[in-house]
Amino acid sequence: MDKDFAARRRRDLIIAAALAAIAALTPLFVKDVVVQNILILTLMYAGLSQSWNILSGYCGQISLGHALYFGLGAYTTELLFTKFGVLPWFGMLAGGVVSALIAMGLGYPFFRLRGHYFVIATIVIAEIGLLLFHNWEWAGAAMGITIPIRGDSWLKFQFLRTKLPYFYFALALCCLAWFVTWWLENSKWGFWWRAVKDNPDAAESLGVDVFNSKMGAAAVSAFLVAVGGSFYAQFVSYIDPESVMGFQFSLLMALPAVLGGIGTLWGPVLGAAILIPLTELTRFKFGGSGRGVDLIVYGTLIVLISLALPRGLLSLFSRPKKTGATR
Amino acid sequence: MTALLETRGVWQRFGGLVANSDVSISVGRGEIVGLIGPNGAGKSTLFNLIAGVLPPTQGSILFDGEDVTHMPAAARCQRGIGRTFQVVKSFETMTVIDNVIVGALVRNTVMREARRKAHEVLEFTGLAARADVLASDLVPAEKRRLEVARALATEPKLLLLDEVLTGLTPTEAQTGVALVRKVRDAGITVLMVEHVMEIVMPLVDRAIVLDLGKVLVEGKPSDVVRDPKVIKAYLGDRHAVGA
Amino acid sequence: MGLLYGLIAVGLALIFGLMDVTNFAHGEFLMIAMYLSFFLFAFFAIDPLLSAPLVAAALFIFGAVIYLLIVRFAMRAKANAGMVQIFTTFGLAIVMRGLAQYFFTPDYRSIPQSWLGGKTISIAGIFLPEPQLVGALVSIAAFAALYFFIHRTDFGRALEATREDPGAVALVGIDKNRVFAFGWGLGAALVGLAGAIMASFFYIYPDVGASFALIAYVTVALGGFGSVFGAFAGGIIVGLVEATTALVLPPALKSVGIYAVYLLVVFIRPRGLFGSI
Repeated sequence: MDKDFAARRRRDLIIAAALAAIAALTPLFVKDVVVQNILILTLMYAGLSQSWNILSGYCGQISLGHALYFGLGAYTTELLFTKFGVLPWFGMLAGGVVSALIAMGLGYPFFRLRGHYFVIATIVIAEIGLLLFHNWEWAGAAMGITIPIRGDSWLKFQFLRTKLPYFYFALALCCLAWFVTWWLENSKWGFWWRAVKDNPDAAESLGVDVFNSKMGAAAVSAFLVAVGGSFYAQFVSYIDPESVMGFQFSLLMALPAVLGGIGTLWGPVLGAAILIPLTELTRFKFGGSGRGVDLIVYGTLIVLISLALPRGLLSLFSRPKKTGATR
Repeated sequence: MTALLETRGVWQRFGGLVANSDVSISVGRGEIVGLIGPNGAGKSTLFNLIAGVLPPTQGSILFDGEDVTHMPAAARCQRGIGRTFQVVKSFETMTVIDNVIVGALVRNTVMREARRKAHEVLEFTGLAARADVLASDLVPAEKRRLEVARALATEPKLLLLDEVLTGLTPTEAQTGVALVRKVRDAGITVLMVEHVMEIVMPLVDRAIVLDLGKVLVEGKPSDVVRDPKVIKAYLGDRHAVGA
Repeated sequence: MGLLYGLIAVGLALIFGLMDVTNFAHGEFLMIAMYLSFFLFAFFAIDPLLSAPLVAAALFIFGAVIYLLIVRFAMRAKANAGMVQIFTTFGLAIVMRGLAQYFFTPDYRSIPQSWLGGKTISIAGIFLPEPQLVGALVSIAAFAALYFFIHRTDFGRALEATREDPGAVALVGIDKNRVFAFGWGLGAALVGLAGAIMASFFYIYPDVGASFALIAYVTVALGGFGSVFGAFAGGIIVGLVEATTALVLPPALKSVGIYAVYLLVVFIRPRGLFGSI
């Protein structure tokens, strides 16, 4: 049985490596900028959703306010860059740390709340963040920040002529988030999180530090999402409160995981691979006058998946083994 | 040698309601002690006080020579108190083995060791064949057993069993009784709450009867069942007169 | 304004209290009501005030149908029940918003001239905008009617009973689904009423629901989920807080006050002001 388990873990790792290798090669064949753009976004959202999944899927604390961390990552990086000339790479790290700290600070009061109260509190806090940035003159208020163009450079993580570096960074981010999840899944934290999600009282009785497990999950999750936020800021080279902290980001982080399979290793990747291209394509095809079609498409998808496959698309492929004959 | 567990003058009030009044009990090492009494006697409250779900209004609880009165449940588990729940609380989306690993992680920080420990415990509790089944797919008797397995994986000195034998078929109850004996033989002290006297009396070394929040009688099971006060508490006044 | 918030929120509270389901599409119900009211005005020149009962009736049917077609199934989910409900109603909200954008275009619309729009009335020297005043009156009337309905009629009692113990109710021969569908209908009708009134003084656009929905959740949570009286009180508090913050902070930050009050309340009383434990 232990062998089975180890084999399964190894298999996951090999599949992931293979997928990453294939993904790394796609730019050789895909030269179209629009398609490349979609691929970058897909990878980014896969990574973000994977990070969201750590807190909300594994640990069961459904957050619909992760846009806050995304935006904090973006703003920290760009404020440091434009005001103090700090290189984006350090800014990225700083953004992650700031977000993780804020996530833990918020965790103190938030993790006492349960169910709907918690979900609404997360929406509300992201909304407060959005409003504050809207009114914060030093940070550009509603006008946002335009990232000064200094020419292509790895040092400044800025590229105008090619999107490839962004592509590889997004891929790296996605792999990192996946790998962190993979690694944590079979660690004390992974078990604690799932126990906390399923039954906090029982977890407590088994020596699980419920509060700190939630804090840990929140910190890891916020850190990774913030790194995604800094990446996005560099990628689009212009940020304003709505475009990095809007509610749609919270949603777009949650939906791939929900679609693919919440609280699973592969769910977010699968969900993002379906959802993001679909959204981008419908937006592209029906752009302009037909705005809203993308919403209809993925809204319908979510309703159907939630109803028909509450454990996500992934549950189609792997049914949990049932051995005994007791039932 | 001192008792493993001791409660000293424990009171618990919920608003105007007194659930436990001045309860002092002790459980010695290696014993199987039954905590019994009619509905509403305060058994579950006392149980929860010992497990650390809530602190008592008054009084103190000592475990293994240490005052644990205000210690949270997780810390008590680390000190060596394991428990089951009256209403089973399995981790439903996790497999049986994963459920037990959560418990095993208290004393094994390396995953591989925790996993090995969990397998051992499943073997011990007779759940090995169901290791890879989701907890939600177990039948009720198996879920009870899983509760015990999970608590055993924390390697407790004292195992608190909350009505683990209630609601089982006679055969299931027999296997349950055998398991409790096996646990004790492994050197673990057992304190079990049961409502139905018939099942526990042959099993326990000592019985403590609670009624109306107070300790009514304490002693050997054979003496306890004959005690008029116990019969009165369980059956009401009319029978007591007859006895 | 607070009373209108209360009116929007009470529909949500009703649905939540009845079935322990949060309807994340509640704001979209409001949006639909506002559009309905707009089109009734644009095509048939029916003033929002007159069309309000019509809109409420239409929303009643809409709410009940949504329950029967979709929500009913979401409630049956065995795994992740909470998550399924959240995301089903969320998905529904997104679809409705998308449909509105598709059919009604994202343009802002408003009802140019209604009986109430833009007029003010002076009571004892204080000028009050008429639509808000009428809104407040209608809200109070609706609350009174609802309160009476729940506590004094058979169906109201059936609602209460079903919420307390669906199993026992089934034994008495009440069809749970019918009661719930009615509950959803009623919740939607209340928000329909609010929408119709708001249509006369608010811009109408596909995302309009979203901005009010969050305030509605806050209002409901403030009062304690499922409490009709709580929603009423919560609405008034939210209205007051909004007015006060508008005095101290720049107008763009007025919602911050509401959100802050929400956070404060749930941290102190995790079940809301009037929520049962």
